Amino acid sequence: MDATLIQLLLPLGVLQLILIVIALIDLRKIDETNGPKWMWVLIIIFFNFIGPIIYFIIGRRT
Amino acid sequence: MQWSTIFKKELTEHWRSFKWIWVPIVFIMFAIMDPLTMYYFPIIMDSVGNVPEGATLDFPTPSVAEAMIMSFSQLGLLGVLIAVVVSMGLVSKEVKSGVYELVLSKPVSFTNYITAKYVAALMLIAFSLAVSLLVGWYYVNILFGTISLVQITVSILFFIVYFMMILGIVMLFNSFLKSQGLVAFLSIITVVILNVISSIYSHVITWSPTLISDYINMYFYSGQLETEIWFSTVAAVAITVMCLVIATITLKNRAID
Amino acid sequence: MTLMSVEQLTKTYQSTTVVNELTFSLEPGKCVALLGPNGAGKTTTLRMLAGFIKPTKGEIVFNEERFSRDVRHYVGYLPQYPVFHNWMSGEEFLTYVGQLAYLTKHEAKAKATELLELVNLSDAKKQRISKYSGGMKQRLGIAQALIHDPKLIILDEPVSSLDPIGRREVLNLIRELKKDATILFSTHILNDAEEVSEEILLMHKGEMIKQGAISEVSETQGTTSIHLSFEEEPKFIEERLKEIDSVFKVNREEEGFIVAVHDINIARSQLLDLIKHEEWELTRFEIGKTSLEDVFMKAVTE
Repeated sequence: MDATLIQLLLPLGVLQLILIVIALIDLRKIDETNGPKWMWVLIIIFFNFIGPIIYFIIGRRT
Repeated sequence: MQWSTIFKKELTEHWRSFKWIWVPIVFIMFAIMDPLTMYYFPIIMDSVGNVPEGATLDFPTPSVAEAMIMSFSQLGLLGVLIAVVVSMGLVSKEVKSGVYELVLSKPVSFTNYITAKYVAALMLIAFSLAVSLLVGWYYVNILFGTISLVQITVSILFFIVYFMMILGIVMLFNSFLKSQGLVAFLSIITVVILNVISSIYSHVITWSPTLISDYINMYFYSGQLETEIWFSTVAAVAITVMCLVIATITLKNRAID
Repeated sequence: MTLMSVEQLTKTYQSTTVVNELTFSLEPGKCVALLGPNGAGKTTTLRMLAGFIKPTKGEIVFNEERFSRDVRHYVGYLPQYPVFHNWMSGEEFLTYVGQLAYLTKHEAKAKATELLELVNLSDAKKQRISKYSGGMKQRLGIAQALIHDPKLIILDEPVSSLDPIGRREVLNLIRELKKDATILFSTHILNDAEEVSEEILLMHKGEMIKQGAISEVSETQGTTSIHLSFEEEPKFIEERLKEIDSVFKVNREEEGFIVAVHDINIARSQLLDLIKHEEWELTRFEIGKTSLEDVFMKAVTE
């Protein structure tokens, strides 16, 4: 692994982290989700990248 | 004044549901995913090390143009999907939940209601496209070679025009359907059909808006902008305006229950 | 001087006529109740008056020349089940709809504060609406109807979904409001109408079957009710009572019967004759004041 690789992948990791954090904040704030909340916590944390997106698209109920 | 009230409310709603954060991030991921994997593919294969004895692996490194086109085509597929999903409830959700009845009881003009919502959604998507493609461009520049700022900016602007039409189509379905899922489904079907038809008859309907991405690709290869892209742009704008006008009229004549 | 006059208002969906040729007028400063059972066409009528569904036929005239604009500028409307943007706070929502009704942001904010005070939501104004209770939402709904100082306030079933305390609060609020504005509200509960309104419009199956001041409607009906109780319930009493020609309806109550009659004097002697003849052991014979219930039952069953 060279330095450029880390430089290029680091931002990706940061973005992913931001995505997870805002999804969790939103999950905490929101009143109702489609399906139980604990399930969404697991999905958001363990399914890299896809998890938070899926949550934002189908998890939120307004 | 009423227009900006609705417009600001939409921006706030997008902001509070974190759309202004997650949509750009997701778009960025789409934009850099392919160039990154293509560049590091040989290294990844090497480290896996399952190459059979004697087999020579030859991965041609993509050209700068090819790498940049990957970003665009990824957004042309998954980005369109996200754009549709993000805007599928703009009107249909309000009608279904019943907020629409309260809004309607105030002297709200249908044109303001439709266009303010539309422009707010377009801003979100245009911003996400611009940011993600600039990040993609940055990665491509580091990994594959140079593309000029002018070229990428011009391409992004044309690409936004394509998305403008897609949001117009989504808005049209919004105006008479209650189910968000159905809005998304029909919008995507429509876009797919438009794409298929235009690629079959691409020599006949050279002005088709769905060919914009093809013209952008050619621009990256040749450095020359095709004249047809201007016709496609005009067609995209025309279709958008038509969609919005029909959406306004449909909503106006729609019975509420 | 009438505030609004309605002529031959009709709404047809496909082949069903939901509202059929309503003609009436609203006087300023009055509180009018639109009464009728569920499905009578009340909501459709109110939506047409509020200016957001088009009548199939007929005319709604807002009787002042300066009211030539969209009537929604002058009408405040509360839907039967008000739904809000739940992600907003009560204050934000009021400010938003105020601006939709062409108030400036500053005016809308000031008016919102004033109304939140009026409907007793000042403490919760920064809270997200999703946290509000049903009664709080109903009061917020009334506040949003008032945001642009409407000349006419239209409330669709404002109290029917509320618990007794919420109902009391809202009825008091209506009493407060009618000092400055004309109110038209629909209900299927007769008590509510009797309690706060001066006039009633009675609808049934899309038609207007009675209208006028409460006192007038009761009188013109010429009906009265007689309450009867007995030591022991006589056999076939309902049938026997119905045989009397001045009786048009017999309702079984917990303690006896309420008999609605056309002419009180005739009915009194006829009933007493029957009771005497049958030797029923009467424990109560009371001539009651006509309630709206009687009017309503009579109009609907006729």
